Amino acid sequence: MLAARESGLLTPVVTRDYAPQDLDERGMWDQCVNLEQQLETSNLRIRDPVLNEYLVGVMQRLLPNQADKIRVFAMWSADFNAAMFPNGMMIVNSGFLARARNEAQLAAVLGHESGHYLRRHSLQGWRNRRATSAVMAFVAVGAGAVSGATGSNWYDLANAINSGLLLSVFRYSRELEGEADSYGLQLMANAGYSPDAASKIWKQLIEERKASAAARKKKYRDGAAAALSTHPPTEERMGRLAADGMFIERAKQSGLTYDDGRERWLAATAALRPAFIDEQVKQNDPGASLYLIESLAVDGWDGTLRYYEGEAYRLRDEAGDADRAATSYAAAVEFPDAMPEAHRAHGYAQLKKGEVEAGRHALGRYLELRPDASDAAMVRFTLGQ
Amino acid sequence: MRFANVIAATVVAMGLSACTSTRQVADTGFKPPQGNYRLIVMQPDISVGVLTAGGGFEHREDWTKQARDHVLTALRKQQANRGGNTTIADTRETAGGDAEMVADLYWLHTAIGRAIRIHKYSPQALPTKKDRFDWTLGMDAVAYGAQTHYDYALFLHAQDSFSSGGRVALQMASALACGFGVCVMPTGGMQQAFASLVDLKSGQIVWFNTLAATAGDIRTAEGAKKMVDELLGEMEPGST
Repeated sequence: MLAARESGLLTPVVTRDYAPQDLDERGMWDQCVNLEQQLETSNLRIRDPVLNEYLVGVMQRLLPNQADKIRVFAMWSADFNAAMFPNGMMIVNSGFLARARNEAQLAAVLGHESGHYLRRHSLQGWRNRRATSAVMAFVAVGAGAVSGATGSNWYDLANAINSGLLLSVFRYSRELEGEADSYGLQLMANAGYSPDAASKIWKQLIEERKASAAARKKKYRDGAAAALSTHPPTEERMGRLAADGMFIERAKQSGLTYDDGRERWLAATAALRPAFIDEQVKQNDPGASLYLIESLAVDGWDGTLRYYEGEAYRLRDEAGDADRAATSYAAAVEFPDAMPEAHRAHGYAQLKKGEVEAGRHALGRYLELRPDASDAAMVRFTLGQ
Repeated sequence: MRFANVIAATVVAMGLSACTSTRQVADTGFKPPQGNYRLIVMQPDISVGVLTAGGGFEHREDWTKQARDHVLTALRKQQANRGGNTTIADTRETAGGDAEMVADLYWLHTAIGRAIRIHKYSPQALPTKKDRFDWTLGMDAVAYGAQTHYDYALFLHAQDSFSSGGRVALQMASALACGFGVCVMPTGGMQQAFASLVDLKSGQIVWFNTLAATAGDIRTAEGAKKMVDELLGEMEPGST
């Protein structure tokens, strides 16, 4: 498998007309059927038709011959994550969709997950765990038997052997993840996406985590840089993906012009973006949220971003945050796309500062824009006072 | 001589007598359905697989399908002998009602069944659940009953596992180690099942039974019949 990476080109094990033959693989696919039914009817599923059609389109660009075999489920979940199952079912979290900046970054993740599917990593991982855990069980029993028979202590040796075996399981997982990274790059380059988008995702994530740690007065520690980690260290992934020169070269030589698909991406996610950011802000990690909002604003602020910047400050509630939030809300309502909630927040912030007339005006505007809001009665009560 | 003792110990350890235990519990005032009731038996949730040497469960599609077919046959025979109007849903769709709602009820029952086993039966039983049996599938179950006009729904969940060759070898090695004074026996395959009867007028689970067995094979017709008979054969009324 490492040899395949060095030679450069990965080929799919799961081709278009693939059907599982081995008993353990068929068992895994059968279990996935149940899980897929659960996902289909789950109320955590993002059902926006525009987004779902868009995801299908990107998959078709990545895997022209096999995209119909992969079902992408966008799910409400704030973690930056995506998952692949052996039967072609893919989960993409709202936490990832909130952080991706353009279509090329989306393609990087869809490509990585497709790599797991095409190379049967779920099956390989299971077989590795099954075999290794069997050896560990025998080592444990053997230690007991030999210790009992000889009277000396063989448990320390057995534990050392088993610890090594356990770590090997995690190392195997990291190797598979590395292979998926490479396969994802390959798919991206062939589909006309700039391969350096893959490395950028990790750079963004590292910066966000550093901002989060700094805000909590902690040192940034990569959760993936440990022997028990199932994924390679984040810095390493970023570096490897950036340096995977072969793909960058092919990209240059192919003569294709790469666009990162940012406009298409923004159009497809426009309706859901407020909800994505809202979910992130409610995670109570203001360092990360503010970093995310500021980086999304690199191409320009809008009403939604200013409103959520205000929310992040308001919920952080440190010294001076009430004023910062008020400034953000005031900026938000100047934009034509300002949400009704921005007017409400602006109104309450002004009332808090003592600007009664302006505050009442803003709250009135909120009620105009959302007459059947769930808190309309409470807002009217505030106005009545 | 010592070796002979070890062999004897191994033989005894391997030849444990098979035991099946069931424990049913019912809501106060529960009487088994009689007369002209309409019952839907939901598609049984079956999983059959291999217990690996390392202790993992490896689901097997072929065994599961075989077991599901035999369990359905056994259910049909059993329910045919009782009164009432019984429909057996061999697929999710034949249960009728709203597809999403039925799917939700399905998963909810699996979760609640596990919760009942943990909090009513096991050493982790909750003191607040000790003297009562009040579990419900909620208003969705009532809505389903209103849509489909069934009075009761019966849910069944069963899992059967069989030791792999490696697991059996591990057990033999452990049995030998027993001869040397270190005795930790890895478990063999087990059959576990639970079933609930839901009153669709209220959404409450009015009767529940759980089964655990160390022998038996629901992949065969007789094994499936035995499991279904032990799990659902006798519905005792609740305390009054």
